Amino acid sequence: MPDDRDGLPELDPVIHGKLRLAVLSLLIGVQEADFVWLREKTGSTDGNLGAQMLKLEEAGYVAMVKRFAGRKPQTLYRMTPAGRKALAKYVAALKRLLGGAL
Amino acid sequence: MENSEAGNGATRDDLIQRIALMEAMIAEGRRSTARCGWYFILWGVVNLTGIGWQLSRPHFGWVWPICLAAGNVLTLAGYLLQRRSAPAKCQSIQYRGVGAVWGMMGIAMTLYVGTALFEHFTWQLSYLAALLMIVGLAHAISAMILRWRVQGAVAALWWIGGVAIFFCRTATPMLVIMLIEMCLGMVAFGAYAMMLERRDSLGPAGTHAG
Repeated sequence: MPDDRDGLPELDPVIHGKLRLAVLSLLIGVQEADFVWLREKTGSTDGNLGAQMLKLEEAGYVAMVKRFAGRKPQTLYRMTPAGRKALAKYVAALKRLLGGAL
Repeated sequence: MENSEAGNGATRDDLIQRIALMEAMIAEGRRSTARCGWYFILWGVVNLTGIGWQLSRPHFGWVWPICLAAGNVLTLAGYLLQRRSAPAKCQSIQYRGVGAVWGMMGIAMTLYVGTALFEHFTWQLSYLAALLMIVGLAHAISAMILRWRVQGAVAALWWIGGVAIFFCRTATPMLVIMLIEMCLGMVAFGAYAMMLERRDSLGPAGTHAG
């Protein structure tokens, strides 16, 4: 975890975005989740969520699989081990920033 | 750290908001663990139908094979329908664990009951006691995984029934125990689980993180 000039830990900018953080927090407790389910739970729009999911995918924090449920196409996301590690680091950084109040 | 800037230029309030958001989303993910109460109602009704039918026609040997086959077909049909009609979903690790417990219990129970029916062992005390204990065990494991006290109480009810069966000297108390288990441990519990599912699905969806 890189520290800034004041000795405080830097927060991972990919995770720090509100919607991306919400998605990762949802995915940490589930094996996999549908795009529609993530959209409903986060209250976001298709376009916004799609863009944020792409960023998380590019960072290697989530993996996407497209498949069919009956005749309906389904986009499923799951958190990668790198994503879990990054979220754990993010939480540790938050703890340090808040003076271990967590 | 004061309420000044921290990492990434975030303020303390901002960081606290992030923690609240994470907590809300983690709780939301946990709440989405389906309880599948309809399975319990279905099997409660199947067993109550079988008991009633057997009482009205005590010498008809096809009561339980027909009821159990119908129960399995309806379970499979319901599962497939549920899979196709659920538009938005997630599969939680807990749900997978609970699904595995009940799926394997279903296979074990089918083998056990099927063999007992074939060999006409179905009115022995030990047969009925083992049946209640197996169902109680599946409830207990689910309750541990889901940390759900109500299901833990249901598991206890099945185990108490399994123990009590050994003290029955006539068919009537055995029947009473089976009826209690089916009505409370299956139908009423299933209805309660369905009520919770409905409440959760109507819950505050969308925390507007976007």
